[in-house]
Amino acid sequence: MQSTIFRPSRNFFPRRFPSLPTCRWNSTVAEPPPAGGHLPGVATSKLLKQTREAALRTSGITYPDEDRSSTSETLVGGRETRKMNTYQAVRDAMSIALLKDDKAVVFGEDVAFGGVFRCTMGLAEEFGKERVFNTPLTEQGIAGFGIGLALMGHTAIAEIQFADYIFPAFDQIVNEAAKIRYRSGGSYNVGGLTIRTPTMSVGHGGLYHSQSPEAFFMGASGLKIVIPRSPLQAKGLLLGSIRDPNPVIFMEPKILYRSAVEQVPIDDFELPLGKAEVLVPGSDLTLLTWGTPVYHCETALHMLKSPPPSLEKHIPQSLRSAKVELIDLRSILPWDIETVAESVKRTGRLVVVHEAGLTAGAGAEISAQIQKRCFLKLEAPVKRVTGWDTPAGLQYEKFNIPDALRVVDAIVGTLTY
Amino acid sequence: MTRNVEHLPTSRSPIVSKLDFFNTVTGKPGEQIPTYRVLDGGGKPIDGAEIPEIDETFARRLYEKMQLLPALDNILYNVQRQGKISFYMTAYGEEATIIGSAAALEDDDEVLGQYREVGVLLWRGFTLDNVMAQCFGNEEDTSGKGRQMPVHFGSPEHHFHTISSPLATQIPQAAGVAYSLRRTPSRRSRSVAACYFGEGAASEGDFHAGMLLASTIPSPVVYIARNNGFAISTPSTEQFYGDGIASRGPGYGIATIRVDGNDVLAVLNAIREARRRCLEQGRAVLVEAMTYRVGHHSTSDDSFAYRARTEVEDRKRIDNPIVRFRHYMESRGWWNAEAETELKARLKADVMKAFKRADSLKRCQVGELFNDVYGGEEPWNIKEQREELSRLLKKYGKDWEPWRTELAKFKNGGQDLLG
Repeated sequence: MQSTIFRPSRNFFPRRFPSLPTCRWNSTVAEPPPAGGHLPGVATSKLLKQTREAALRTSGITYPDEDRSSTSETLVGGRETRKMNTYQAVRDAMSIALLKDDKAVVFGEDVAFGGVFRCTMGLAEEFGKERVFNTPLTEQGIAGFGIGLALMGHTAIAEIQFADYIFPAFDQIVNEAAKIRYRSGGSYNVGGLTIRTPTMSVGHGGLYHSQSPEAFFMGASGLKIVIPRSPLQAKGLLLGSIRDPNPVIFMEPKILYRSAVEQVPIDDFELPLGKAEVLVPGSDLTLLTWGTPVYHCETALHMLKSPPPSLEKHIPQSLRSAKVELIDLRSILPWDIETVAESVKRTGRLVVVHEAGLTAGAGAEISAQIQKRCFLKLEAPVKRVTGWDTPAGLQYEKFNIPDALRVVDAIVGTLTY
Repeated sequence: MTRNVEHLPTSRSPIVSKLDFFNTVTGKPGEQIPTYRVLDGGGKPIDGAEIPEIDETFARRLYEKMQLLPALDNILYNVQRQGKISFYMTAYGEEATIIGSAAALEDDDEVLGQYREVGVLLWRGFTLDNVMAQCFGNEEDTSGKGRQMPVHFGSPEHHFHTISSPLATQIPQAAGVAYSLRRTPSRRSRSVAACYFGEGAASEGDFHAGMLLASTIPSPVVYIARNNGFAISTPSTEQFYGDGIASRGPGYGIATIRVDGNDVLAVLNAIREARRRCLEQGRAVLVEAMTYRVGHHSTSDDSFAYRARTEVEDRKRIDNPIVRFRHYMESRGWWNAEAETELKARLKADVMKAFKRADSLKRCQVGELFNDVYGGEEPWNIKEQREELSRLLKKYGKDWEPWRTELAKFKNGGQDLLG
């Protein structure tokens, strides 16, 4: 199905869209990566809040110390923000948790000196070795220890150094943490447990520094799973997770630790768990994702609207004005089916994007639920754009992760089904 | 001439030039860690042994609880055989280990058990009605609202954490529980966590993880290994090659003792001292209690498939923890045949009364199937699934006989989901 081919002049882009550098098209451009990873496309993302006002107007923000009679204008007028990257925002959240909750402790491998991703910088100095401390190298020990603390009503903020290494703790998390409230008839619970862990690809991580294991935990009812896309989201969702009365696995996309920078309120604030966020409203197709791929999806929307010259012939003119609704799921368990289903009922089309492999990834569960809820409204099958069903091979990463091109390809395919 | 022994730069490890290997904790080849005992096989105090200072009241309480355990086990084992409860685990042969250690702890020390430690709950006043309710999974089951198999007790009131089936998971959890005690001003230097596990469970990775954490963080846990010789059918000779569990303690740098688990007074002494050291150092202490599992692993096991009856009968006769202590009590003039008869009859009557009562009660409401998965706001999937079961019960609950009879077992006959 080909519409008339529109060939813009060579200078079309710089004149019409001066604010869009060409590197926007290469959301996964190759350059020597710093150890902590770097995602160039994030730097120009409009989804990050670069002004104080934009940050303070973030949907769903609540301030625990707020007087409920205050109006939001007063709050926007009064509160301060600071430029933070993701690891600084995560650190800020933990320092607030430690400050306000005497029973909170932070522990894991190498957290005392600041952490391999700097998420715990200065916390041991500020709060002391009794509250911020290293553990021996044992994920099952870290998880079990955290469960024990939480059993006694303390706030255990545990770190698993890479999500790839969470599996020794699988028994403690799935058989114990997830089930303690249910099996004890509610007389015990480990709501005070939060497990933080860096997740997703980093550019050079290979099999064991790139995994997205969220789907492995979806079947462990009793757990919550949260994945933030940006510094502001990370701070609010982490504070929300720490205070949620259920054990939460908080997965932080590691490539965003340094790459994502935005204005973040310096106060104590929370964002809601279990709620997705519509980032770009639309009417023709629902694009659902979480974590790092949010930025590949944003790039894909640009590519759809204004394809670079090399891709013009692949993106029919008639589709370039399609309005795609971009949703960040944020919470994977429980996930916000209401927001997604309402969107798909309007658009009739769903594309789910995640880094984890295709088979039995979170997209599979979402697809099954959406096809059930929206069956008669669907104009096309639910399309999943994901990592392949292979481990994450180092040299092949660019072809493994769902990049902007694969996303726009899926959008075009779904729109033209 | 003084010998100047060199050490490695940053440790106290002395430098030697003789190539030699070692494989015992004591350093002497083939030598095992000794076992601490104060009463001999006949219940007589060993010369020079320090008998714990206990009065008659305390001794009778010890003995009564040691007899309550098998009285309970006798009835509940048979009740399972009759099909009234689904499963049971007895503690035959381990009464001194369990009651002796319970008696050495404070009532609010946090206990994390494996599954054979109901005696600790009985010592702390958990009633027979509570026990029965959990085993029957009826509407009075405060341990778990009927959600777990029998013997999975739990009670915050008695500081006894809910038992779970996966083995050894409680070992690192105990390190965390104990750390919370360190961080609670009113309990620091006063309370410990006590963690029980069998010699088989000690093979799990969680044992190593728990030992590491409790010794390095550190946190005050008294770890009590019940070495009863079997992990279902696997004898301890097939469970480890080293010298039991006690040999591992020094590997973690923690104070360790091996005690005769069938000598209730030795267990009392050992656990009291272990607790004292634990509080003093704020660090884990390991006690290995040597005992023997007289009964089957559980009602799902027939141990005569892997051991001779004579072996069991001999152990019951030669080294019976209850008989040993009774001889000691009698030698002090604290016990006699009449008291024995009276006690046995009273305990049996108490257990039977609780059993009959529990047998008559219904299960919790059927909707409890869906409660307590999450705290706070209930997620949509739980809500939706409860409604789905409700729809199915309304549609088929009266017509389908298997469902009809099953619903009748629940309090209010399923009305909470039908209505």
